[in-house]
Amino acid sequence: MNEILTQEKSIYIQIKEMIENDILRDILREEERVPSTNELAKLYAINPATAAKGVNLLVDEEILYKKRGIGMFVAAGAKKLITGKRKEHFYDDYVRSLMMEAESLGITKKELIAMIERAEDSVSLFVEDKY
Amino acid sequence: MSKLIGQRISKVYGGKEVLHGIDLELESGKIYGLIGRNGAGKTTLLSILTSQNPTTGGTITFDGEPVWENPKALAHLCFSRELNPVAGSSTSALKIKEYLRIAATFYPKWDKKMAEDLMREFALDEKKHISKLSKGMLSMVTIVVAMASKAEFTFMDEPVAGLDVVMREKFYQLLVEEFTETGRTFVISTHIIEEAADVFEEVIIVDQGKILMKENTQDLLERCWHVSGHEEEVDAAAAGLERHHEEHMGRSKGVMVMLQPGQKIPEHYDITIQKLSLQKVFTALCGEEA
Repeated sequence: MNEILTQEKSIYIQIKEMIENDILRDILREEERVPSTNELAKLYAINPATAAKGVNLLVDEEILYKKRGIGMFVAAGAKKLITGKRKEHFYDDYVRSLMMEAESLGITKKELIAMIERAEDSVSLFVEDKY
Repeated sequence: MSKLIGQRISKVYGGKEVLHGIDLELESGKIYGLIGRNGAGKTTLLSILTSQNPTTGGTITFDGEPVWENPKALAHLCFSRELNPVAGSSTSALKIKEYLRIAATFYPKWDKKMAEDLMREFALDEKKHISKLSKGMLSMVTIVVAMASKAEFTFMDEPVAGLDVVMREKFYQLLVEEFTETGRTFVISTHIIEEAADVFEEVIIVDQGKILMKENTQDLLERCWHVSGHEEEVDAAAAGLERHHEEHMGRSKGVMVMLQPGQKIPEHYDITIQKLSLQKVFTALCGEEA
């Protein structure tokens, strides 16, 4: 929750992703209360309606749930939901733009695959370590 | 839910019309940002909405009642004006303490403790004369008055002018804190658009005496995009879309595209599409006749 806001993306999207990141990193655990919209608004000096927009997206995605009169909580299974969702988006966010850039540079499919394999070697240590 | 409604507000100064039939509806429980270029009419509009200045034409009502010379309606409104430190002005000879005492008589819900707390937080010396204050201190005094007025609708004219960046951040923090705790409505004019954009739920753009736009800030930012690339590609991609502020350099072209509901920038063009900040959107809309 202590990342800083940038101009690159909508504020409410950033709020949403920050909460997701905190869940992925166990800064926020499942069944734990997340900061309220007002707390988020004060922390970042942003409009509470904008903070609420981000939080509500997470409720819609069933990553957070509302306990009436108490606040928002991280749903059981939230972590899995977030990873699953990010995997789905991986294609649009990374693979497609990768292909587009490769095409404009005239990189062939073969070259691209070779590059992916090279990259795999350099990050494999990290991946094994993590999972 | 209270409402302050201005209808067909016009204002003539010395034979020149500076506000041209403005319609504006402000709801309670929102922070509005009022932005516009120098001389656009922001201060005039704020002073008219709060009855510190008569209209030439049009009406202003608070929950259906005319505001002009109506103490009952005015009890809900506060306009903390920029202070004039120049010798001979009505306020320059006063000490801060005296200015606050006068303000306290204006606003029925005046919070004396809050005023004192803020004076301390801003390290303001109440015995200082207004004429002796720096630009930043003048802004701080107007902020103290606006906050401590506890008025349901509070209008601030460039509250951060003259404040250093640390104080400006402190002000936005204070504003959001007060807003989340009370739900008071704030209307804030500023030239420092970028850092205030995230605080405004709605933005009101005033241009040449008219309201160019009043829209949810996030919604506005989501429909404005900067499209650039080869001129032919940009023109093809932006065909039929609302365009502002075209810029050329050789074969290259950049333009702001403003999407209407249901519109999309078509795919399959070799163009760069970038998100714009509120400041950039504002410049694109109001910067044409530099």
